[in-house]
Amino acid sequence: MTCAEFQKVLPYIIDGGGSAEEQQHLATCQVCSDLIADLRYIAEAAKLLVPMEDPSPRVWTGIQESLEREGMVKPARKHV
Amino acid sequence: MTTAKKILANGIPEQEAIDRAKQGDAECFEALYGLHKRRVYSLCLRMVGNTAEAEDLTQEAFLQLFRKIATFRGESAFSTWLHRLAVNVVLMHLRKKGLPEVSLEETLEPQNEDGPRKDIGARDNALVGAIDRVNLERSIESLPPGYRIIFVLHDVEGYEHNEIAEMMGCSIGNSKSQLHKARMKLRDLLKLSQAERAAKR
Repeated sequence: MTCAEFQKVLPYIIDGGGSAEEQQHLATCQVCSDLIADLRYIAEAAKLLVPMEDPSPRVWTGIQESLEREGMVKPARKHV
Repeated sequence: MTTAKKILANGIPEQEAIDRAKQGDAECFEALYGLHKRRVYSLCLRMVGNTAEAEDLTQEAFLQLFRKIATFRGESAFSTWLHRLAVNVVLMHLRKKGLPEVSLEETLEPQNEDGPRKDIGARDNALVGAIDRVNLERSIESLPPGYRIIFVLHDVEGYEHNEIAEMMGCSIGNSKSQLHKARMKLRDLLKLSQAERAAKR
């Protein structure tokens, strides 16, 4: 199996699976195993991205105005 | 669903805030907004890559949420329900704008001569251990829109291919192949920025 052939099926086997021939190529090809390591690393790094920013206050003001206009809110009652 | 009670900023448990928002309690609308605004805004911002548009979409997502909150029956976690709703708001918006198609060539053709090598069979520097958050955020932002959306939905937000296929109206195979192209493009962008930083040293 060539690198080109392996990389063609890669999108479908990166999360597991793959034939014996594909596994064999991966075990012996440094280029393809480097590529997989990079792609998995990118996916792992993306999982760690946390929300960092809040929207500006104008967003809540807009929501509040629409809620009032549409008659969806009743006056707030005190929480006890 | 998590069993731990979420307590909102004003001391109201989330479930109580949902129940009271269903009755039109203004304070609870605001408390629910306060709890979820950052995550929803961040989702919108990463998907559209533009602050003003992301704010408009955040507003629209919460308005739809409040209009529909009476239909929330608690089969899924409230946050799951809200995020799915926000994704749909963004996708609807992008469809109206005409979501740009991303061609296969765009991923496979080198961007310029200084870029990383694209030859299959050639080794270059590994990325492992070399990505920082700011760099990754910036690279995601510069992905073509079609790639950015699939990458954000799958790798950042954690949606499965079957969910993405349903939301995007495509096949699971298509979702997998688009995600792969997105990651390949991102890898190119990250390597390019890695090379630029090395050249400056």
